[in-house]
Amino acid sequence: MAEPAPLGSESPASEAAGDFLEAAMTRPRADAAVLAVQGEVDTLTATLFADAVAELMDAPETTLVVDLTGVKFLASSGLAVLIQAAHRAEERNARLRLVVTTRAVRRPLEITGIDQLFDMHSDVHDAIGGDD
Amino acid sequence: MSDLDGSSPAETLDGASTVEVRTSASAALIPTIRAVASDLAARADFDLDAISDLRMAVDEACATLVDVAAPSSTLQCTFLVRSERIEVHAQVRAGHPDAVVSTDTFGWRVLQTLADDVAVHHEPGSGGDGPTVGIRLDKRSGDLPR
Repeated sequence: MAEPAPLGSESPASEAAGDFLEAAMTRPRADAAVLAVQGEVDTLTATLFADAVAELMDAPETTLVVDLTGVKFLASSGLAVLIQAAHRAEERNARLRLVVTTRAVRRPLEITGIDQLFDMHSDVHDAIGGDD
Repeated sequence: MSDLDGSSPAETLDGASTVEVRTSASAALIPTIRAVASDLAARADFDLDAISDLRMAVDEACATLVDVAAPSSTLQCTFLVRSERIEVHAQVRAGHPDAVVSTDTFGWRVLQTLADDVAVHHEPGSGGDGPTVGIRLDKRSGDLPR
């Protein structure tokens, strides 16, 4: 896999330690696009996250996955981005698939009930393996 | 600047141990504040979900306040660590005389879900100062039976 391209390296967000966000899109299969996100999704990085997710939602592949394994914090601004993406997926008659392995991501999704909008998976292989 | 609790020294507040963090009212410093929240909750034996909830609630409250804060002002965040719960008071000096914390947003609904109790307070400014706007939230160390 290619090294993820850092987003936000020129934004003021990168001045504070720990709030860096990286996102990289890969196509592990002809019909699947996976956006792998690393870092903290908060008010500083939500725009970068939104842009990366929007790019995924524009992808022509039928299986769309957001891999949140590397996300260490997920604020409501990030949840809002995911909700919007779920609605975009619905318009395409699909469900967005999330890879969630950490409490930092699972807890916000579950306590708000937003997890219901997605197909949740515990690894990328599983996420791209299922039928549509 | 008026204190949250009048003139009483922080460490005597109802026997709660108190931690106060003051930063520039800048979004770039919120990660530091939420790290403090997370650390305090972990040391107070909060369960892992409650630690996550408090960290996120503090982030949400601070982000909301930074949005209305006057330029070059201060974000004051006080943690009162009690037995089995942590109370958080966050406040800023607002930039506009009629600034309010809007409670009809998605972020506010999330904050209400995360915290056991949450409230906004507004205090009119005196002299040339803008009003003080604050958010108080309460988080228990674990889920109570419902």
